[in-house]
Amino acid sequence: AKHTEQHEGRLYNIPLEEVKAVFPHGLPYRFQQQIQTFNEARVMVRRPALELLAYLKGSSFAHPAVRYVIYGERGTGKTMTLCHVVHYCSRQGWLVLHIPDAHLWVKNCRELLQSSYNKDRLDQPLQASVWLKNFKTSNERFLREIKTQKKYTWGKRESTEEGRPLGEVVEQGLARVRSASDAVGVLLREIKQQSQRGSFRLLVAVDGVNALWGRTTLRKEDKSPVSPEELTLVHNLRKMVRNDWSGGAIVTTLSQTGSLFKPSSAYTPHELLGKEGFDALDPFVPIPVANYSPREFESCYGYYLERKWLQHEKAHTEDGKAELQFLSGSNPRQLDRLAGPL
Amino acid sequence: RIMPVRWSRYNPSYLEPEVKKESYQKPLEELTEEEREQMELKAVRPIKAAPPTLSSSVFSDPMISKFTNMMMKSGNKVLARSLMSQTLESIKRKQLEKYHKAPENEKETIECNPYVIFHQALKNCQPIIGLSNITRGGKTYQVPVPLTDNRKRFLAMKWLITECRENKHRRTMMPEKLSQELLLAFNNEGPVIKKKHVLHKMAEANRAYAHFRWW
Repeated sequence: AKHTEQHEGRLYNIPLEEVKAVFPHGLPYRFQQQIQTFNEARVMVRRPALELLAYLKGSSFAHPAVRYVIYGERGTGKTMTLCHVVHYCSRQGWLVLHIPDAHLWVKNCRELLQSSYNKDRLDQPLQASVWLKNFKTSNERFLREIKTQKKYTWGKRESTEEGRPLGEVVEQGLARVRSASDAVGVLLREIKQQSQRGSFRLLVAVDGVNALWGRTTLRKEDKSPVSPEELTLVHNLRKMVRNDWSGGAIVTTLSQTGSLFKPSSAYTPHELLGKEGFDALDPFVPIPVANYSPREFESCYGYYLERKWLQHEKAHTEDGKAELQFLSGSNPRQLDRLAGPL
Repeated sequence: RIMPVRWSRYNPSYLEPEVKKESYQKPLEELTEEEREQMELKAVRPIKAAPPTLSSSVFSDPMISKFTNMMMKSGNKVLARSLMSQTLESIKRKQLEKYHKAPENEKETIECNPYVIFHQALKNCQPIIGLSNITRGGKTYQVPVPLTDNRKRFLAMKWLITECRENKHRRTMMPEKLSQELLLAFNNEGPVIKKKHVLHKMAEANRAYAHFRWW
């Protein structure tokens, strides 16, 4: 989708089959409901997304990967910007590593296994297998093309030889749920090494990146708290987000809504990432996302009217529009919630 | 401690607050004599505090607020209001999905506005005649009696809420249950309409005792 600055404020359509293929797990829940009700997916083109796309088009891939951090207040559209960028890159043919929400890996986990590969770390079979399944649906053709470069042994009898397609690693992870997190680690390492050679471009899209450096709500069996380094998934993700590979880009989003032990008024990178995270992510390009500008608000309002989403008689009047703008404060999430019952 | 439920504790000199925006935007010449006197009185007399349910928004509806008050439990208006908005949204979604799938000629008959559906469903559920217990000579008889508008609305809303709370599966959410009931009542089907018909039949059966009523 080629968008220039003239298209700012307009909504563009994504065909439904592409939505299922590219975003098996990325979109927010309310947006999925909206897709189902209107029978189409419409994403608004906004200035932060256009900035990001311009940077991605202009970046050279011999240099190490540039990190972009999208931040902003609650409900201003950070996840949607990320999904816009992911869709653009998948259209261009990049390999997209999309993690829907890193906070899901750091809280509410029922099963924690001790990792067989490294004695100190803990595995999460459930979340790893779910993510592998979604990764398979989104990037199938890459899984057939990329070959492994080392031999990996999964247990007493199973092993993957050199030169087999990565799809087999994924199958292995799905079949043997115990070693799913190790399969994820292998996948990430292979992809990182091979993107440096330049046969394909890699986009790492992480939503809720502040989960990788905060605290977790998980506990070990002797009730001692778990720090994020002890989880294999988090450890491997941190290696991906580090700057030491070239041939792609890393786009991340900060999120306060899923974050643990952080005050609800914090939205800047420094507050949400903490000292560790900020140092680890240090040279990054910050991209702030703000509320709707008046033009964007009008286009959103017009879209709702056209799709018959605003059914109340008074909502079609000038007064109703002014009231909606005032009540929502031009915040996309509040506007969506207010326009629901009307 | 006396709570001001039926009789207010305000001094009779206090006036009611005026909420409608249009009444403040009229220029002075258009007002009649009485309204000018009213304006001057308001400049002098004190005004009662506005209750939290009264709003000047264009989107407010007195019936909806009455319904949310009846759904509220132990003063949790926030929860009741969010349940109400989720109900309206789910009704809208279901109707919009039906609308998009329907063929061209039926598209106009499908009603998508949740407020219209709510009002029509309430109207369909209101009983016309009610029963009241009257004791004559030791025995209590169920006597058919006309109902006031307020009583009819109250009975309709009460039946809807009790129906949703009791007769459904334990794990379904209130907005889902309510939206289902409202859509059925809109089409004159469903258990609440049945209850109304049962009441009408009982009143018809007890027609003989109608002369016991003295009001």
